[in-house]
Amino acid sequence: MTGLAAKAAAALERSILPSVIARGGALRVVAVEDGVATMEVTGSPGAVLPLATRIEAQVRAAVPEITAVRITAPGRQPPPGEAGSLAEQARHILDTEVNPAIAAHHGHVALEGVDHGLVRIRLEGGCQGCSLAEVTVRQGIEPLLRARMPGLAGVADVTDHEAGTQPFFTAEKR
Amino acid sequence: MSETGANPAAEPPPVLLLIPARTYRATDFLTAAGRMGLDLVVGSDGALPLGGHPVVHVSPGDVDGSVGRILACGKRFSAVVAADTPMLVLAAMVAERMGLPHNPVQAVSAAADKAEQRRLWAAAPVAQPAFRIVPAGASEDSLRRAAEQAGFPCVVKAVSLSASQGILRADRPDAVVAAARRIQRVLAAAGRPADEPLLVEEYVPGPELSIDGLLTSGGLTVTALFDKPCAPGGPTFEETVLTTPSRLPGPVQAEAIATAGRAARALGLTHGPIHAELRIGQRDGRPWPVMLELAARSIGGLCSRTLRFADGRSLEELVLANALGRPVPRPRAARPAGVLMIPVPRRGILRAVEGRSDATAIPGITGMTITIPAGQRVQPLPDGDRYLGFIFAKGGTCDDVEKSLGTAHAQLRIVIE
Repeated sequence: MTGLAAKAAAALERSILPSVIARGGALRVVAVEDGVATMEVTGSPGAVLPLATRIEAQVRAAVPEITAVRITAPGRQPPPGEAGSLAEQARHILDTEVNPAIAAHHGHVALEGVDHGLVRIRLEGGCQGCSLAEVTVRQGIEPLLRARMPGLAGVADVTDHEAGTQPFFTAEKR
Repeated sequence: MSETGANPAAEPPPVLLLIPARTYRATDFLTAAGRMGLDLVVGSDGALPLGGHPVVHVSPGDVDGSVGRILACGKRFSAVVAADTPMLVLAAMVAERMGLPHNPVQAVSAAADKAEQRRLWAAAPVAQPAFRIVPAGASEDSLRRAAEQAGFPCVVKAVSLSASQGILRADRPDAVVAAARRIQRVLAAAGRPADEPLLVEEYVPGPELSIDGLLTSGGLTVTALFDKPCAPGGPTFEETVLTTPSRLPGPVQAEAIATAGRAARALGLTHGPIHAELRIGQRDGRPWPVMLELAARSIGGLCSRTLRFADGRSLEELVLANALGRPVPRPRAARPAGVLMIPVPRRGILRAVEGRSDATAIPGITGMTITIPAGQRVQPLPDGDRYLGFIFAKGGTCDDVEKSLGTAHAQLRIVIE
């Protein structure tokens, strides 16, 4: 374990790990590369994922060199190789990296299709109609897919957000 | 250098955009940042980190902790922008710590407090209605006395709420007491501190308008003047229709702009967007623009979608450019446009907004967005804080725009149980 990974593990130990364990889960730091700490969930993912925001905040506050935290589930397969189609790659990333995280907000992202390098996604549950849906797509899903899929032209959100009935956040005029 | 002030050969400037969870403004700011090719980092109290670009967890309720987490990123930002009101103080504090152009934190806080605004404008002085600030625990006699001093009819206001929430007109002494008690219940429901005072001010009849602009070193560049042709006379004060450009006489517009500029300076604001609301009263037989309120942000809701500037740029692009120290273009003569904020007609569970196809088929209507999902509990002003949605229109004249918006609204059947 590198020095940064050890610092991140220590920060976890003294801050949020007790809460995770009390909820029936566990979390370990796998690696820190380019400022991104990768952590693996064991036990119940539901014990960890709702705490994802707090975990990242506390680790980043304790270890300023860490700029992002990525939480993965056990048994996750490595990203598909170039042999896989764009659709397969996108679906794999959504299923293994996006959906476990946004489940914390009762959300889900489905792949609608891939045309000419453009990935079309549909947001469901807490993401449909959420006032932060655009943030999730533009600052989360799209950069993640772009980083993993060099052939990607872009991401289109085809959700009918007005039809959402359970948005996690609704807008208020201030 | 391009016409926008950006250098196409340079690295994209890193910008911190602070987005509160419950805002209408996220999409428009993100779209603007994308068009400008900015290296964007989002700070939010609601967004989840998903890899790729980081999301910094911030909270308006924990400003010091939030500043610490932002600084801990180690990223040197070229600008810090708050997308909406709850993030304004945090944005000012971060910009101050990073040595970026910003409004003084005290000025931003003053702009969020209607009582403090009135005090500072009285000291400046800036034209405004007569007013009294009444402590939370004031007796009924004190309330009646304050209203008599402000003059009847008067308006009773919560000092910390916005979007016309917690505002009631009162025409008689007993109505002032009833209005105050009702507003205190609204404040309690909104989780405001029990010791928050109330503002009792003179009701100023006359046309109402809003002014949006950008401050640079204290100098104001106006980006839009909106008339509010359906400005209500009370008892509640829904903002419904906004049309631009203003139909008020040029000298009245000029005096209103000058008043808004003085009001911003009196609060200590020097940099970034402002949204000012004024009424045009009468004094000595002449139009007399008076300040109602001023916020250190751009226009709220989705209303900015009525505006387009040179090269098709949005108001949010101008706000971001201003934060980056780029020049703000003078607004060009634009085609008349407007927006209708659909008010909540009564309390209950929203079941449906029917007639939308008929509404959008009205000539001049350019779009409609319903922003409250079916199944949610809704309540009208002064208790509620949300509109059902927004209808947008363009036309040959502002009269055409106003007519299109009204006709489209009339097509809607809002089902609330």
